[in-house]
Amino acid sequence: MPEDRDAPGSGLLRLFRAAPFRLTLLSLALFAFAGAAFLAYVYVAATGEARRRTDAEILREAASLVEVNDRAGAQALNSVLVSRMAGEQRYLYLLMTPEGRKISGSLARSPVEDFRGEPVWIRFNLSGFDEDGRPVSIPARGFQQKLPDGAILFVGADTDDDQQFIVTIVRGLWGAGALVIVLGIASGLLISRNFTRAMTGLTDVVRAARHGDLTARAAVRGAGDELDQLAEGLNAMLERLDRSMAAHRHAGDSIAHDLRSPLTRLKVRLETALIDMEAGRGDARQALRQALDDTDGVLRTFSAVLAISRLQAAGEAPNAVLFDPAGMVGDMTELYGPLCEDKGLEIASDIAAGLTLRGNPAILAQALANLVDNAVKYTPQGGAVMVRLRRRASGDVEISVTDTGPGVPQHDRDRVVDRFIRLENSRNMPGAGLGLSLVAAVAEAHGGRLELGEGPGAYGGSGPGLRAALVLPSPS
Amino acid sequence: MRILIVEDDQPAAEAMAKGLTDAGHDCVVQPDGAAGLDCARRGGFDVMIVDRMMPCLDGVGLVETLRRDGDETPVLFLSALGEIEDRVTGLRAGADDYLVKPYAFAELVARVEALSRRRETGSVLTQLRVGDLEMDLIGRRVHRAGQEIDLQPREFRLLEFLMRHAGQAVTRTMLLEKVWEYHFDPQTNVIDVHISRLRSKIDKGFEHPMLETIRGAGYRLDA
Repeated sequence: MPEDRDAPGSGLLRLFRAAPFRLTLLSLALFAFAGAAFLAYVYVAATGEARRRTDAEILREAASLVEVNDRAGAQALNSVLVSRMAGEQRYLYLLMTPEGRKISGSLARSPVEDFRGEPVWIRFNLSGFDEDGRPVSIPARGFQQKLPDGAILFVGADTDDDQQFIVTIVRGLWGAGALVIVLGIASGLLISRNFTRAMTGLTDVVRAARHGDLTARAAVRGAGDELDQLAEGLNAMLERLDRSMAAHRHAGDSIAHDLRSPLTRLKVRLETALIDMEAGRGDARQALRQALDDTDGVLRTFSAVLAISRLQAAGEAPNAVLFDPAGMVGDMTELYGPLCEDKGLEIASDIAAGLTLRGNPAILAQALANLVDNAVKYTPQGGAVMVRLRRRASGDVEISVTDTGPGVPQHDRDRVVDRFIRLENSRNMPGAGLGLSLVAAVAEAHGGRLELGEGPGAYGGSGPGLRAALVLPSPS
Repeated sequence: MRILIVEDDQPAAEAMAKGLTDAGHDCVVQPDGAAGLDCARRGGFDVMIVDRMMPCLDGVGLVETLRRDGDETPVLFLSALGEIEDRVTGLRAGADDYLVKPYAFAELVARVEALSRRRETGSVLTQLRVGDLEMDLIGRRVHRAGQEIDLQPREFRLLEFLMRHAGQAVTRTMLLEKVWEYHFDPQTNVIDVHISRLRSKIDKGFEHPMLETIRGAGYRLDA
């Protein structure tokens, strides 16, 4: 079963598999490569430099000996050599006859084989003994030339000291490199442990969500880094998903509940009509008309539920534009004017000019129509309905409808906005009880809210009245 | 009137064709967009009723192709998608009207007849006349049997729409759409009150009422 394929292994294995650890290893490998290149460069440069220095010294020494030879003759050169060999032996000397036999010097014979008289450089090894008396091979360099009188002079020096120095440096750098790698792996493990700990929290939440539990939330550590942002994003996403799922479940229940009774009624009506028709009594047309009315009611409920769901699912107003709401508010007031007059209600409007809203005018018009509709429906004769458009001190734009009807008690105000909720005393009024839910959904889709409050009370009405306000943010 | 119905839901198409035939129209039904396009290209239709979602070629594609070819036959879109943005895409594709499923049959007939009428009265009119009712569109005055009738601006537009569609049923939704230019289903009798105002102005004192109510459909202005 691939159920827990994403469940990481435990302990060290899990650390080794963590992304930051792998990244650390990768950067260490890159670092080691760069370090090795650096060491190689240092080695080549240092050995080159040491060789150049040794060569210069050998040439200088050779030149001084040639000078002695030129000025004072072969005899003087020989004695200078003997005296130099008696002192501290920095250089290796060998003076030979033109045939190549040794006259004097510290070497038994020249390392240069097959000398043709041209000055020549050579690299060779001296055999000697170390402090413990073991035989060792010491690297050396030398320069051999023919003197004007035909004798052959060889001057050399061992390069062992330079070599030793370089080897020491390189060895030290290798050691430092090894230390860096060990520390790097350790810090990689440490970082990946922290990272893994944070990621485990997120993964657990995601796994819970995948198994249907949308209530789990990831911990936000407060560091404000990418992981925190991810956790916050994940939480916000789950919050919205959870709410949307709940809304859908609720909608499903409500639709089933609200449609069952009219559909049952419809079925009974059709059955009765059929029975009556077969028995040849009654007027089937009347029954069919009523059945049609019932169907209309069912369909209307459906469209309202769909409209609300789509607004909630979209989370924003479709085809939003910038517009001045004054015209729309005026139109809706005018649309309901004659209806109010017929019902013996006074309707008035107070419309501020020059405001701007960002939204869908048609959807907002429908929301306002619903509010006016409600006001007209619930306000008894002799009352008044006031439609107002104004800018609040907060900068929000408010479109409100105030009536002098019975109002909505404080404790019921949240509930009436819920889908399908209709207060007990309005059960006999037509409508599916979706009006205010739709208005609230429209307000939310526009980034605003629906506020319910008390009306003016004493304004010649029969109750405290209701003030329903669409509060919408002003576009910045 | 010759009507082309392009609808993949066969029972719905048949019911529609039967109803429209009973109302005196001549109907041709095509089951998908490609067949519908072929049939439409042969021409001779006064109105087309096109379902928006269909196999082969959807309604939007069909209407766009027709309009590109220069075919201006009025098209009524039928759709289960009823949101404002769906409507806008439908009308932008070149359809002339948009009806959301499920619809009342009376609404369909009213809209189809209104579409065919729209084409006939494409020229600019300065005066409308239905029976003894006269409307001066320039001077914005209305007379019935020589007697001037004083109308509010909205009442004037309402009557203008009814006169332009004289003899046809117009629904409440159509009136809200065309006269007020808002798209929603008027839940209460808000439109009826406007009609009864208008009726009291044009019919009161006259023996023959012109503005009649059609049950289950809407209203009709007739000489």
